[in-house]
Amino acid sequence: MEYQDRLTDIINFLPDATWAIDTAGTVIAWNRAIEELTGVKAESIIGKGDFEYAVPFYGCRLPILVDVAITPNLEQERQYKSFIRVGDTVEAEIFAPHFRPGGVYLWAKARRLLDSAGNVIGAIETIRDITEHKRMQEIMAHTEKMVMVGGLAAGMAHEINNPLGAILQHAQNIERRVSADIPANLKAAAEVGVDLDLVRAYLQKRGIFDFIGHIRSAGMRASEIISNMLHFSRGSEAGIEPADVATLLDRILELAGSDYDMKKKYNFQQIELQRQYAPGLPPVPIVSSEMEQVLLNIIKNAAQAMSGAAMVSQPCIIVRIRVSGDVIAIDIEDNGPGMAEAVRRRIFEPFFSTKAVGVGSGLGLSVAYAIVTKGHGGSIEIRSRPGEGSCFTVKLPLQERKL
Amino acid sequence: MNNDEIRVLLVDDEKMICDCVSAYLEDEGFTVRSAFSGEEGLEIIAAFCPAVCISDLNLPGMGGEEFIVKAHTLYPPTGFMLHTGMLYSLSDRLRAIGMTADDVLLKPVHDLSKLVKKIRLTAASRRES
Repeated sequence: MEYQDRLTDIINFLPDATWAIDTAGTVIAWNRAIEELTGVKAESIIGKGDFEYAVPFYGCRLPILVDVAITPNLEQERQYKSFIRVGDTVEAEIFAPHFRPGGVYLWAKARRLLDSAGNVIGAIETIRDITEHKRMQEIMAHTEKMVMVGGLAAGMAHEINNPLGAILQHAQNIERRVSADIPANLKAAAEVGVDLDLVRAYLQKRGIFDFIGHIRSAGMRASEIISNMLHFSRGSEAGIEPADVATLLDRILELAGSDYDMKKKYNFQQIELQRQYAPGLPPVPIVSSEMEQVLLNIIKNAAQAMSGAAMVSQPCIIVRIRVSGDVIAIDIEDNGPGMAEAVRRRIFEPFFSTKAVGVGSGLGLSVAYAIVTKGHGGSIEIRSRPGEGSCFTVKLPLQERKL
Repeated sequence: MNNDEIRVLLVDDEKMICDCVSAYLEDEGFTVRSAFSGEEGLEIIAAFCPAVCISDLNLPGMGGEEFIVKAHTLYPPTGFMLHTGMLYSLSDRLRAIGMTADDVLLKPVHDLSKLVKKIRLTAASRRES
């Protein structure tokens, strides 16, 4: 008995949630860590069988990893996201949906227990909560991807700028070289024996001035895309200054309301705007013009999403500003169609767009992301589910961080 | 204003850029010379005595910032502008010689007539001071 107590003390000490069953499936050990993880006390579960131990994880009785350790079951093993068997030990990643709201990712390891004669007398399982670890991994992978794509975009932008400059500027030079206002043009025309006015009349008649105009406007459009892409490589040259975010948001909402596109395409006036600003908000160090671009982009996106969805009968955008620890958080929440997880994960990638070709460049939100994270040392998060609207949260540090 | 008096030095390793800009500036009556590196720019500046110098930031060999600082020592009357394809915040050493964020031009310059206005302003303010 003393030996038994000592063993209980030992497994209670282990930091990983650990328990054991006998061959009949009766719980014979249940340590402190798993009491804490599941909220189920040892005295209420030890001695119980019939898959009682599965209930805290899955909400029902069913065979779990510890059972596979005793009796291999290919069908069940295949259902785990990753499953490894090495000798008597099995390991698997488990998603337990009923553990906490949103579910929990666990890494579980189980092994058969043998007596001195080598007979199976039960199994032991230990589990570790890897939810946070997985979340961090996802964030890191995302950050890494953004850095990579950003570097690529910036490098490309830089390389394209010079040839683009030549296109734009030479188009302008062509316009200038046929202008009658420049003495050198008149002189050259006289030298070769042509009348510059006639040359101009011909170019006009054949639409060549329009072509040159189109070269310039197309070049400018490309140049705008490039200049947006440049935001990935560096922060801004504009100064960060303390600003009142509530005033800024009011101005943006007014701007959005008066924007022709917003009015016409997205029915912005039909959207109910709710402002929920916490009282006594402190000033926040930001580049106002850039933050305006960020927030306007998110609001436009929300308006666009709602205008595209027929089922949104009473479109509403809630704009919330609150202080949360050492950051100010700006929520822009809509009751639009929401988005699938696959979209949510990629939404900040440059050139990722769910809009029709030509409607969006897929740069708006990625530029917003770069401005908030790189330019301001903040973060953007999205909560969204299909059919349940979306909420973008921009968090900005209250104290300027040296980047 | 008569632009004949205004001399402009362009420093860019991309000949194409020097060509487009100088074609326009010459049509406007400026006297323009191009240098394709900072080193070449330094050789020219004291003899050419430009009112305005527009230098690229990313130059092979000596970078644009270093070129401007050295060129300023060789010929202080010149007003400098920095032409860059990257977002760029003006460094302290360029602020120290009187440059401001307004003197940074982001490539590509869409409308060279605006550049002409800037050059005239810079040249005029240099003349006054």
